[in-house]
Amino acid sequence: MKKRFNQLRAALLFAALFFGMGCERELEELELATFPTNAEVFIDGFPGDLNYAAFGGSAVGAFDVDTEVKYAGTTSMKFAVPDFEDPAGAYAGGAFFLTGGRDLSGYNVLTFWARATQAANIDIVGIGNDLGGNNFQASVEGLAINTNWQKYYIPIPDPSKLTQERGMFFYSEGPENGRGYTFWIDEMKFEKLGTVVAVNSGIFNGENLTQTVETGATFRADGFAVFNLPTGINQRVNAAPSYFTYTSSNPSVASVDATGAVTVLDAGTATITATLGGEPAVGSLAITSTGDPILPSTPAPTPTVPSADVISIFSNAYTNVPVDFYNGFWQFSTTQSANVQVVPGDDIIRYSQLNFVGIQFTAPTIDARAVNRIHLDIWTPDPTALPATFKVLLVDLGPDGAFGGNDDVSHEVTITSPVLQTQQWVSIDLPLSAFPGLTSRANLAQIVLSGDLPNVFMDNLYLYNGDGGGSGGGSEPTMAAPTPTRPAANVISLFSDAYNDVPVDTWRTDWSAATFEDVNIAGNATKKYSMLDFVGIETVANQVDAADMSHLHLDVWSGDFTSFSIKLVDFGPDGGFGGGDDVEHQIDFATPAQGQWISYDIPLSDFTGLTTRSNIAQYILVGQPTGATTVFVDNIYFYRTGGGGNPTEPATAAPAPTRPAANVISLFSDAYTDVPVDTWRTDWSAATFEDVTVAGNAAKKYSMLDFVGIETVANQVDATDMTHLHLDAWSADFTSFSIKLVDFGADGGFGGGDDVEHQIDFPMPAQAQWVSYDIPLSDFTGLTTRANLAQYILVAQPSGGATVFVDNLYFYGSGGGGNPTSPVAAAPTPTTAAANVISLFSDAYTDVPVDTWRTDWSAAVLEDINVAGNATKKYSMLDFVGIETVANQVDATAMTHFRIDVWSADFTTFGIKLVDFGPDGAFGGGDDVEHQVNFTTPAQRQWISYDIPLSDFTGLTRRANIAQYILVGQPTGATTIFVDNVYFRN
Amino acid sequence: MKLSNKTIRGFYLLLLVVMTSLALGLSSCEADQTQNLEERTWRVVWSDEFDGAAGQLPDPGKWTYDLGTGDNGWGNAELQSYTSNPENVSLDGNGNLQITARRNGNSFTSARIKTQGIFEQAYGRFEARMKTPYGPGLWPAFWLLGANIDEVTWPQCGEIDVMELRGQIPDKIAGSLHGPGYSGGNAITSDFALENGRFDSEYHVFAIEWGQDYIDYFVDDFLYQRIEKKDVPGEWVYNQPFFMILNVAVGGNYVGFPTSQTPFPQPMVIDYVRVSERTN
Repeated sequence: MKKRFNQLRAALLFAALFFGMGCERELEELELATFPTNAEVFIDGFPGDLNYAAFGGSAVGAFDVDTEVKYAGTTSMKFAVPDFEDPAGAYAGGAFFLTGGRDLSGYNVLTFWARATQAANIDIVGIGNDLGGNNFQASVEGLAINTNWQKYYIPIPDPSKLTQERGMFFYSEGPENGRGYTFWIDEMKFEKLGTVVAVNSGIFNGENLTQTVETGATFRADGFAVFNLPTGINQRVNAAPSYFTYTSSNPSVASVDATGAVTVLDAGTATITATLGGEPAVGSLAITSTGDPILPSTPAPTPTVPSADVISIFSNAYTNVPVDFYNGFWQFSTTQSANVQVVPGDDIIRYSQLNFVGIQFTAPTIDARAVNRIHLDIWTPDPTALPATFKVLLVDLGPDGAFGGNDDVSHEVTITSPVLQTQQWVSIDLPLSAFPGLTSRANLAQIVLSGDLPNVFMDNLYLYNGDGGGSGGGSEPTMAAPTPTRPAANVISLFSDAYNDVPVDTWRTDWSAATFEDVNIAGNATKKYSMLDFVGIETVANQVDAADMSHLHLDVWSGDFTSFSIKLVDFGPDGGFGGGDDVEHQIDFATPAQGQWISYDIPLSDFTGLTTRSNIAQYILVGQPTGATTVFVDNIYFYRTGGGGNPTEPATAAPAPTRPAANVISLFSDAYTDVPVDTWRTDWSAATFEDVTVAGNAAKKYSMLDFVGIETVANQVDATDMTHLHLDAWSADFTSFSIKLVDFGADGGFGGGDDVEHQIDFPMPAQAQWVSYDIPLSDFTGLTTRANLAQYILVAQPSGGATVFVDNLYFYGSGGGGNPTSPVAAAPTPTTAAANVISLFSDAYTDVPVDTWRTDWSAAVLEDINVAGNATKKYSMLDFVGIETVANQVDATAMTHFRIDVWSADFTTFGIKLVDFGPDGAFGGGDDVEHQVNFTTPAQRQWISYDIPLSDFTGLTRRANIAQYILVGQPTGATTIFVDNVYFRN
Repeated sequence: MKLSNKTIRGFYLLLLVVMTSLALGLSSCEADQTQNLEERTWRVVWSDEFDGAAGQLPDPGKWTYDLGTGDNGWGNAELQSYTSNPENVSLDGNGNLQITARRNGNSFTSARIKTQGIFEQAYGRFEARMKTPYGPGLWPAFWLLGANIDEVTWPQCGEIDVMELRGQIPDKIAGSLHGPGYSGGNAITSDFALENGRFDSEYHVFAIEWGQDYIDYFVDDFLYQRIEKKDVPGEWVYNQPFFMILNVAVGGNYVGFPTSQTPFPQPMVIDYVRVSERTN
């Protein structure tokens, strides 16, 4: 989730370990017409010419040669996988490669023996990583190893391609459940095994993709091959695109080269297919080109801001700062980019296939404190009517100037119609104050553009100072400070138009180092301090008793400060300066945002040295650069959050949980023993996190919350037996609150194709009171498994502006009794548009004819029942049931997903098989294809919406004549399932 | 093939291979070597070439079925239910019969066809050209049972396994003989493994040549096992008519159970079955 800022840093770190330099060089080798064909990679040492390089960021010392543990001979290769967050490197990974090449075309598989100190799945092992083009990389993911020596196979997708291969072996493996371990590999060699046989292969993940694009679009194929191993099981191998031979059905519309790079050349349609080793591969890409790109006919408006006020990132009107890239080609980004001109000399960046694109400037980062606006011009040929969006995200690296470190801040602004317009230049010009989550901007490093417009032309991307007024930033605010909203009863005001102020002796003591003026900003009285080093403000004559107050508020604006501090001094019970009872505390704010009003709401508890506050007499403001700073100040007041006003934090603790501990899995609560939580704020979160105490009760406080990730990756929660999620939340300002649960699936790892998640939104939650959420897990319909819960994501609005307190986060079950055996609620109503659906059974759509919902060869009992007014199929004593549309076979070629809602109180496995009768439209005939998808340990007692990509039915290579749907449940013959909403969709 | 207690048979395999190899003076893994066998000439008396339209069941004039799950999974805790559905047994339209094991969740269907009551013969050459299924838990076989099985029961009737294969070892078949006093785990058996290939990737011809006091086992006309009357530790019951069986079992004591990684469906593709009488 939102990890896209951390683009893969694929730089390779050479560990410079060279082996077997003693190989004798013979004269013939200098003129080899062909490459050597030796098979050995590691038997009891390395052949000459083999080098090892550790991958970037990996533990460089992970690989070593071991003489103690070995499968045969005298030595083995040992790989020490580090612990999570090991400072030496986060994972083990590297490549074994030759300086010259080998002819491996006479082999068909790399084999080796391996064992480990524990059962584990090696993330990836393979061949063909030559630290160069990796043209013939082939790899196996998730290789299962255990403590026994076993033989492993990496089949070569097409050996005839490997006539001069340099990449002998590579691997990458991270910790298992956060902990490192060791594995060994021995007797690694290439072999020609007749017992390894090809089953099939595919490109584009075996899917038949369709894309509508403009001429000039590009795509890249990816591939896989499946082999049956000598053990009788199938092994999927990721195959580099160059292994395949490609064909375009219409080369004048789309060309494809030997590396699988597809280029759209002209209007029309073309389909890309491929073969591997002469055999057809499944999967294709059907391209419809709408023809030449629609380009802007006019250039973007010429900027008029004086260059002295501008930090330009992309514009011919200014000198641009150094930019790392205008397209980072980050993982999952499909965005292509090109420079175009509609008039000579005026470059425009054309982004196409835009989903998101990163623009980055880190050498150096941009210090944007002296500017206050961002500008960019965009032009799109795409429809811009609502709800189409275009988003601009700014990322600042924080004081450490580096990615991560818990100080990165960001904010995204979404732009919609009517600002967005089709086929005309739109100037997006925003104050940086519109990015309130960007709380610092001294190290601005990335701008990320995203949204719903696949084609965007961009020009004149720059930051500038919108106050005009020469270089160095604006000198004074044009807007008044925000008007306070807290009830007067809860406020002690020193200076504000909103309240009756207490008497202040002076706004500038004579020992101050600053010039003071009372000024008027947009009709609002404001204090202006210039040439500020520090200024003292005093209430000695009428000391302020802030004992009942909780916060100090002040609004500050400066065009030039680089740091700002405030000190409070309490004169103590004697009410006089000195006397041994004075206390004070200063709070510093580094790199505050310039050129915008900043509202500080500082808990008085942060003034830790201020141990008394009944006699507050001095307020000292400090600015840097020393003696050269101008600061405007407004709305200085103390306030309290309790007692009928508008509190900003809870005065009472969250309600104490009452459920029996036996039925609870608690992540955070004083009432239960909590399970281990990795982090209460992942580093990809957009929020500030504190552990706080509310009325003596521990709570989690998230401020500036956009979203926060909480993780239990190392100790995943099995909530299979739980029925509800409980969470207490308190916020004075949230307008919407959401919670998302993410289950990592049976593989227990992020990704892997089995992750499921679901988010539930609570719009307009009650503010300023504890809200107890008790959410049936069945409401998380997308969360089809919950045995490996690993992420809990809290989201609030206003984005980046909400403060939420959280307590008592736990799952609970009903703990026996009352476990329903049939659903109470109807299945969720489908939302896909009817035009995109072929429905077999649903109240939401017109269904196609179905011959039978239970063929006579089924092993199940069928009843048509009603659940909460909704027609539902009930299958009991289920082993398997056949559903048939033989008489009216379904053509699902235009569909992408098969959807079915299922509820069961007792199933432990659920399977769905689709059968296509093939072109002959009849059972048998040699053209029937089928595939079954199985779901182990599905969630019980809740509606599960299976929305299965048809590409997952890999054996279902045709789907124009789908005639059978077989549902399978376990325990065999003893399962009852309820089924609703059976349809194909796209 | 028929009864349980076969898991322990594995312990005897190696020993028996050695014994029979010594007896014949050849090794089953040296497939390249030349064999000098007495000349035998044959005349085909029964065959099925499996010509016909795709989807047709096999010729009912030649084959009948065993259906269902038998007693205790046909005596071996096999998992499949045998059917006579075309999805489990039908011609492929290219001159082959396909017997296909299918998975439905954790249940399996397949087929077992036989010539019992239709064609039964003593002595001669019994051969089939076919490609096997593969994958853990798949157990294809071509075998014969004594036609008097319903009168004397197994193993008194005798059982000649021309070939059977464990899907997790797709490069090795076994030929066996079960009779009174030497059945189940004590059967006389020998393995034959391809040096660098698999029985599912190419067609191979599996045959026995059966005389009054010997049975010779062949793969692709290579003799890998001869069992003579004097070799059996019990009665020689192979002087009466036998019928043929072709089947694909799933799971069971001999082969172990399919795993989540076993690919399905799995067809056994049979080009022909022929029976010949000796003419010299």
